[in-house]
Amino acid sequence: MPPAQRDHYSVLGLLRDASPEEVRQAHLEIARRLHPDKNVAAGDTELFLDAQRAYEVLSNPERRAQYDATLPPEHETHPALRHQITLSRPHLYEIAEPQVIHALLQIAPRHRAQSLSASPINVCLLLDRSTSMKGEKLDTAKAAAIQLIRTLRPEDIFSLVAFSDKPEVIIPAGDRGDRRQLENRIHMLQPSGSTEILRGLEAAMAEVRRSLSAEMVHHVILLTDGHTYGDEEGCLELAGEAARQGIGMTALGIGLDWNDGFLDALASRTGGTSDYIFDPADIRRLLIDKFTMLTRVYVDDILLEQDERQGIQVREAFRLQPEGGPIAMHKPLHLGPILQDVDLRVIFEFVVEPSALASGPIPLLDGVLRIAATNRTDRVPPLRLQLALDVQPMQKPVQPPDQLLRALSAWTLYRIQERAGGAADSGDFEGAARSLEYVASRLRSGGQSTLASTSLLEAQELTQERRWKGSGRKDLKYGTRALLLAEGQDELR
Amino acid sequence: MIACSNCSHENLEGSIFCAECGAKLPILDAAATPSAEQAADVEVVARHEPTASSAGSKPWANLHLLEAGHILPLSSRPEFTLGRISEGQPIVPDVDLSPYQAFASGVSRLHAIVRHEGDRIAIIDLGSANGTFVNGTRLPPNSEQYLGDGDIIALGKLRIQLLLHTP
Repeated sequence: MPPAQRDHYSVLGLLRDASPEEVRQAHLEIARRLHPDKNVAAGDTELFLDAQRAYEVLSNPERRAQYDATLPPEHETHPALRHQITLSRPHLYEIAEPQVIHALLQIAPRHRAQSLSASPINVCLLLDRSTSMKGEKLDTAKAAAIQLIRTLRPEDIFSLVAFSDKPEVIIPAGDRGDRRQLENRIHMLQPSGSTEILRGLEAAMAEVRRSLSAEMVHHVILLTDGHTYGDEEGCLELAGEAARQGIGMTALGIGLDWNDGFLDALASRTGGTSDYIFDPADIRRLLIDKFTMLTRVYVDDILLEQDERQGIQVREAFRLQPEGGPIAMHKPLHLGPILQDVDLRVIFEFVVEPSALASGPIPLLDGVLRIAATNRTDRVPPLRLQLALDVQPMQKPVQPPDQLLRALSAWTLYRIQERAGGAADSGDFEGAARSLEYVASRLRSGGQSTLASTSLLEAQELTQERRWKGSGRKDLKYGTRALLLAEGQDELR
Repeated sequence: MIACSNCSHENLEGSIFCAECGAKLPILDAAATPSAEQAADVEVVARHEPTASSAGSKPWANLHLLEAGHILPLSSRPEFTLGRISEGQPIVPDVDLSPYQAFASGVSRLHAIVRHEGDRIAIIDLGSANGTFVNGTRLPPNSEQYLGDGDIIALGKLRIQLLLHTP
């Protein structure tokens, strides 16, 4: 059914700034496609008439100007961002059971050519110094911290907080004193105590908060190798607070004995992600990469604020790039950063209940994308995000666009693997093993034989020994995640 | 619900992959008979899997996406609009090129029409922003240009080769 309330531009599928030629072409196309002489599908004639009316107004400059004046302000032509949505199918099904539909949202700077000069960064490195870090892990981390200090630009702010069961500010934010002295303080760091992340996080946030200027990219990088006990909830709350203040978080886990689910939850509250460092020798590279990335940030964090609508739910979302990772399902959704040269790409899974179906387009997405840091919103208006789908009788389904298909394939694997982890945690080792066997066969048919073998080995271990073997669990999690990233690669560059 | 043929798991309608085992679910549903137009759309989208493009109608031309190496057969209908789906706009081109970096290549939402009359195949630029080129020469908008086998069409920077015989 053609909705009466759609404005003339959307009837013709045009943006508000369409040229007269675009108006003409759009009308021509609709006329050709929907001409009553040629089409019989229900609703087509109404669409055709709507298009006629729209064309009559928009093709006449005077009438168009008058009409434009009656429209609410347009959000679609956003000065800083542009976005694109790819759907797994163009319509919702008219069925009496729940259905899923997938969407790939891509957000990019509107004018890539005139990208901003690199923002100064305000970063706190929060370093686990508990006894388990002793040896290569702490030594490499210290060396990396020293290297980071040397790469700072004059406008950057760096702080270093070491924590075990209590935090210690090793380098306060903004201390740009004698470099040798700073480096000595890092050298003298010794391992001791246990891991209590909350206290460390509080101290790190305090350092970053010393200068919350809008011009800077604020970030806490947590480097840990252990579990924190009992203070997880407090950590998550603090991360939520950080997100509201425009402070991002990255969590790097070293070795095997850390809680990936918790670190993911922590970082994703701020639009950040966790990463896995198997070999301590990689600490330096990952930290340097992270720093470099922070200097290329165009927007720290994009928020999706959606109106709740009965029967339509985002069940899960995953950021494909930059820095792939799950999106925390806390409202508003923190989708993550946009880099100057890497778009933000997020894949969504919607579940639509039959109760949400009605005649006329169903708003799958109806909200705004907002740039996170509150002190920036006055300069960058929110970007309206609207996507309404028609409901049609179920037909032969349409193959989704390739890029979405590949991303969905990899995402499915990642999620099955995550479910295996959850099943094993709750004692369902048979279920976990079965999932991992499925993952193994998918990986094998996708040519990922090393990961496939890991998956199969872990399945056997879970069945026989009721525990994970070695690094398999994290190898699988971050390995399948890396496959997703490969599918999300920015092909535009 | 769609039952997975690999593991029998019941997936929600609209699922593409089985949530239980990751197998691709059949893209098939007997519930409704698609109309002629819809059938044509499905066929285009099903592209580069010629076996999947049902009903045996032989393509009258194939679009060879040079960068991606994919081939899109055109059949059933005498003409197809080429373009890209954009931001939930209601106008959808017959052939959506967005999986082929259409946005970055400067393909307009409705960029061009490819049509055939008898043996002759022609392309019409629809006043696109970045132009349609045939073998390097930019076409004036809204006028027909006949095409031959192997001609290179560029929609903006997206290069497509016209193949008249299925490779």
